[in-house]
Amino acid sequence: MGTELRYLSPEWRDEAEKRLRTELSAERMNFVTSSMSNVYLNCPDGGSRYLVFRFENGELAELLLGQGEPPTAEFKITGQYETFARITRAELSSHRALMTGKLKLKGNMVKALKLAAIADRMNKVLSKIPASY
Amino acid sequence: MDKSDDPYFIDFPGRIRAIQLEMAKQGIDAYLGSRLRTLSWTLDAFAPWRSFVVIPAEGLPTAFTFVIDAARLADDSWLDEDHVMGFAPMGGQDQIELIADFIKELLPGGKGRLGIESGMSNYLPEGNLTHYEYERYARALPGCELVNAHTIIDRLATIKDAGTINRFREASRMVDIGHQAVLDALQDGGWKGKTETEIAGLAAYAMRKAGSEWEWSFTGGNEIASGYRTGLVGGACTPASRRELREGEPLMVDLHAMFKLGLGDHAHNYLIAPVTERQRWHADNFIDIVKRTLQTYRAGITPSGLAEQMIGFADERGFADYMVPGFEHGIGLMGDEWRIGLNDGPFPYWTNPDHVYCAGELIICAMQYACPDEGIGFRYENPIVLHEDHCEPLSAFPLRVDEIH
Repeated sequence: MGTELRYLSPEWRDEAEKRLRTELSAERMNFVTSSMSNVYLNCPDGGSRYLVFRFENGELAELLLGQGEPPTAEFKITGQYETFARITRAELSSHRALMTGKLKLKGNMVKALKLAAIADRMNKVLSKIPASY
Repeated sequence: MDKSDDPYFIDFPGRIRAIQLEMAKQGIDAYLGSRLRTLSWTLDAFAPWRSFVVIPAEGLPTAFTFVIDAARLADDSWLDEDHVMGFAPMGGQDQIELIADFIKELLPGGKGRLGIESGMSNYLPEGNLTHYEYERYARALPGCELVNAHTIIDRLATIKDAGTINRFREASRMVDIGHQAVLDALQDGGWKGKTETEIAGLAAYAMRKAGSEWEWSFTGGNEIASGYRTGLVGGACTPASRRELREGEPLMVDLHAMFKLGLGDHAHNYLIAPVTERQRWHADNFIDIVKRTLQTYRAGITPSGLAEQMIGFADERGFADYMVPGFEHGIGLMGDEWRIGLNDGPFPYWTNPDHVYCAGELIICAMQYACPDEGIGFRYENPIVLHEDHCEPLSAFPLRVDEIH
């Protein structure tokens, strides 16, 4: 795939879903059942967006892209669009973003720790999508 | 496991409902507990890190602790992992933001009266909300009125249930095993070359073998004093030192064991031969006043009334100068080791000398005999359950001052 997709566009979401399904097996996802919503503040158009990942037994059941208040998820991560973009471009680790307060996590931290490695695997897949920001 | 199967059963959901009933009476919409005694009393788990419990008006409480210990605390507690949260220095996860957000979601519009725990204590790990924490929570919860509400817990925790008393009874049994191990190790010349720290350690080993979780006291675990250290002026706190035992000297062994947050705390005393008549006189005085005190403790008396009687007895016998004029300290599940009863005495956050004991209270009967001029002293501590017409000492190690050779 040679052309760049606009980050968080419907086309980028479709490509993300395709890659997550093909590159992350249920086993690789530890057969996890959980959900996480990323809330992107101050997107280039001035608004905010959300991206909700829902996994059932390690299979991606849903990947929702939208605007406004996201549907309820087990974890909610909120941050500036630019912060998420830097993470996706591998310029900033998600751990550092959390530890410096650039991202805000809502949800049970103990459970989140169990899922940290899985989240890293997802980020790695998403970072390979050629994208413009 | 229900009440009929488990002698150590405590109805923790029932405790929470009792707290919620009191909260409703006082118009408190949520309770933020921070004292170690509150955490033990509501969670049934030891919380060694700064921790909090949020009790809503209805439903289950949620505990918050340092993330490195949250999974263990959830494993030990009666609460499930959805009701034990870890905090960490991360966005949205530091203790103030995490707990404040949690409380806001509990209260309609983020508004209401929030009970907190404020006060002071001689007991260092008491865990009252600090000034800094108070200011941060007040800023993070602009819709809330923060009101001091620890009396709710203090009142409910005063009378001990059967499960709590049985936990103390088992911890006391472990302490007695520790005392026997010390006696076995000291007699027939075994004391020679031993240090106070070594005695503390061998007692700890015996008690741990018997199942004790730790030598819980913040006063250095097992307190051991030998020689002049037994008779320090007004002294009732002797973390073990590296001092070696010597012939002709007294030895005080104050052991602590813990079983399911129930606490064993018993002191036994020795004279290392050769023993002088004067030392024996001191020892007999001590044993007599302990016996008299145990015969006197019951429901209906007060700390000041008991002290007057016992100091009067000591005065008649000519040893009042050597008695530290206190005969008790408070006790409860881990973290409750200070004041007896409510904060209603003439000096804030000290035991009310006119507190009237009730049946079902559990205290530590505690006495210190100290004669610094002669380098001799003795200590008695034992958890006792107060009944209508007597008290029940939980440690059963024989009351005597043993002479060892």
